Amino acid sequence: MPAAWICLLSPLAAALLITVAGNRISRRGAGYVATLSVAVSFAAAVVSFVALLGEEPDERYHPSTLWSWLTAGQLDFGLRIVVDPLSVFMMLVVSGVGALIVAYSIGYMDGDDEERRYFAYMALFVFSMLMLVQGGNLLILLVGWGLVGLSSYLLIGFWHERPAAIAAAKKAFVMNAIGDATMALALFLLIQRAGSLNFETVFSQADSIGGSWTMNLIALGLLGGAVAKSAQLPLHTWLPDAMEGPTPVSALIHAATMVTAGVYLIVRTAPLFEQAPRVLELSAGLGAITLILAGLIALVQTDIKRVIAYSTMSQIGYMFLAAGLGAYANAMFHLMTHAFFKALLFMAAGLVIHGLAGEQDVRRMGGLRSLMPYTFGAFTVGALALAGMPPFSGFFSKDSILAAALDHGWYGEVLWVAGMIGTFLTGLYAFRLLFLVFWGEPSPFVREHLMVGSHEHAREGHLMHDGHETHEHAGEGPFSMTATVGALTLLAAVGGFIQFAGVWTAVSDWLEPVAPPLVEATGMQELVSSVVAVLLGLAGIGVAWLLYGARTSEVPRLGWAQRLLEHKFYFDAAYDAAFYRPAVFAATAIGRFVERPLVFGSVRELSQGMRGLGLETRRLQTGLVRTYALAIAASLAVVMIVFVAVR
Amino acid sequence: MRGPDVVWYLCVAGFLFCTGALGVLIRRSPLIVLLSLELMLNGSNLALIAFSRYYAQGNGQIFALTVMAVAASEVVVGLGLIVSIARRQLDLDVDKLSTLRG
Repeated sequence: MPAAWICLLSPLAAALLITVAGNRISRRGAGYVATLSVAVSFAAAVVSFVALLGEEPDERYHPSTLWSWLTAGQLDFGLRIVVDPLSVFMMLVVSGVGALIVAYSIGYMDGDDEERRYFAYMALFVFSMLMLVQGGNLLILLVGWGLVGLSSYLLIGFWHERPAAIAAAKKAFVMNAIGDATMALALFLLIQRAGSLNFETVFSQADSIGGSWTMNLIALGLLGGAVAKSAQLPLHTWLPDAMEGPTPVSALIHAATMVTAGVYLIVRTAPLFEQAPRVLELSAGLGAITLILAGLIALVQTDIKRVIAYSTMSQIGYMFLAAGLGAYANAMFHLMTHAFFKALLFMAAGLVIHGLAGEQDVRRMGGLRSLMPYTFGAFTVGALALAGMPPFSGFFSKDSILAAALDHGWYGEVLWVAGMIGTFLTGLYAFRLLFLVFWGEPSPFVREHLMVGSHEHAREGHLMHDGHETHEHAGEGPFSMTATVGALTLLAAVGGFIQFAGVWTAVSDWLEPVAPPLVEATGMQELVSSVVAVLLGLAGIGVAWLLYGARTSEVPRLGWAQRLLEHKFYFDAAYDAAFYRPAVFAATAIGRFVERPLVFGSVRELSQGMRGLGLETRRLQTGLVRTYALAIAASLAVVMIVFVAVR
Repeated sequence: MRGPDVVWYLCVAGFLFCTGALGVLIRRSPLIVLLSLELMLNGSNLALIAFSRYYAQGNGQIFALTVMAVAASEVVVGLGLIVSIARRQLDLDVDKLSTLRG
């Protein structure tokens, strides 16, 4: 499978090239190199896809090992990738959406001081993500997992002169490290019990690895990793803060690809999770709780990107719900459509932020509909897809998840209700954002900044790049941004037609050999779910219209509820009190009572003693050759006497 | 075996060695120190050759030849040092060359 290797290594080559080339390529050139490499990846992914398409479904499994990477006793881990329907599916999504977003960055990051670093990081991220999804054993998967965390850290903290960005990057890294640790523990258990981490070896003996305790522990460890990476409760607090990074980063990492890695992990290791059904149900439950809580918090956020970030958490909650119920194909399908419409929303928001000279507060926006009609159209499509309105992509994927929930007994029905509440909330917060930003009269801030900002930017662009830009949509952003937004608008609008529940099931059929579903919704359940979900979504949109669009009724004021939501259910405060403060307290106490008197004191005394000793010995060094010679002669004499005496 | 007993040779060798060692320790002129060093080496050479004859084996003589070679190269280095000291117009006095004092 050389195409798959090209797909994997092309972004890495680009990252290395940009790093090594340094000043020798222009800033814009770095952007082109990165975009090209990801596009090559996408082409290679398509080639792999076509190659698989020509085979029987049962034969679509091609591991490929470059060399033995790590050997320890009986264990042998190869640098191994696997090409099968699931990994190709992810490769297509990651490289396809990734290529669009990297291309978008060329316009968005234009004029930034450190564009080359940015594009090197972006290419590194795409490489890491591809390694994660292509890895042929759990160790390579974990390597990709860690690399993704690293590049996410680098990109969140890209604007390193902002303290908030640094703090957010650290927070994301620490939260993810918790997940990495539990995942590593699960892998240790697997190594001990199964003696291998290769997918087919582990999965084929999944039912004989160990008792329910062992399997539950393994599944819990893997779930911990998935929950941290995908920003689900209780390890979700890093994702909203990660919005400190550049907007395309949010689109690529914190919406389209990285945060969905948890869903991929659950689907990939489904045979293990199925041996621990309680853990699987736990992940569905966590997804359901997350989707409601995140939807609620999104209602009161005032930062345009944070609203979308909470909506990402909420949508990944749906995917966890589906994966936890065993509706793997539905989860992956939603993962794909979500990648389309969420990247679109972020990039449209990026156009707004770009136009308004970096402003992200929705309270200062408004009335952009007439000033940025193109962005408005794109954002509307994204919001409709997010709210699950037919015929946009979110409708097909979200409703099939809800329908699948109905096929799982009473627990599934509870989850179904939670998902339905989530649908209402989705419609509400998505269109609250839309109405706040685009509806009404242009706000004073918009009037002041929109025209000024974009003109200045255009002028700068022309000065720096000899006017290569074609301002097709003058005032809304450079061509690279508007074109990619257009492409994603198209995908978000029609991407859902790949699978039409009950009529044709391309995604389910494609993924069937890897992860056969546990639940199967009937046509009736599909119909009921779709109708209820669309009605609830419309209700949400209607409420949003009344409150924020037409403004015919006041936004209800509930003091305690508002405070609760604005403090994000006090998760941050609770973690602060539970972990951060005790740690700081313990560190200060140890510093005062142990470090200073014992460690510092003993070191100081040791050093003073040594110094005194040195001062004494120093006098032996006279610098006179004769004393040295005498010393040698005297010691030789002593040695001789000793030898003679011992005899 | 003809000639004096090996003890006499060793006495002479010891005398030479001690004279040389005393010279190294006492004299201040680097030239004389070097010369005394040669005396020490020759003292040990004499002992080596005396034993070589006593045991009727060639090892000692070969060793003595090696010592001569070492002595020759040592003289080259030593004289070179002395010449360069003289060139810098420093006193030819080992007691004044004490920059390495701790």
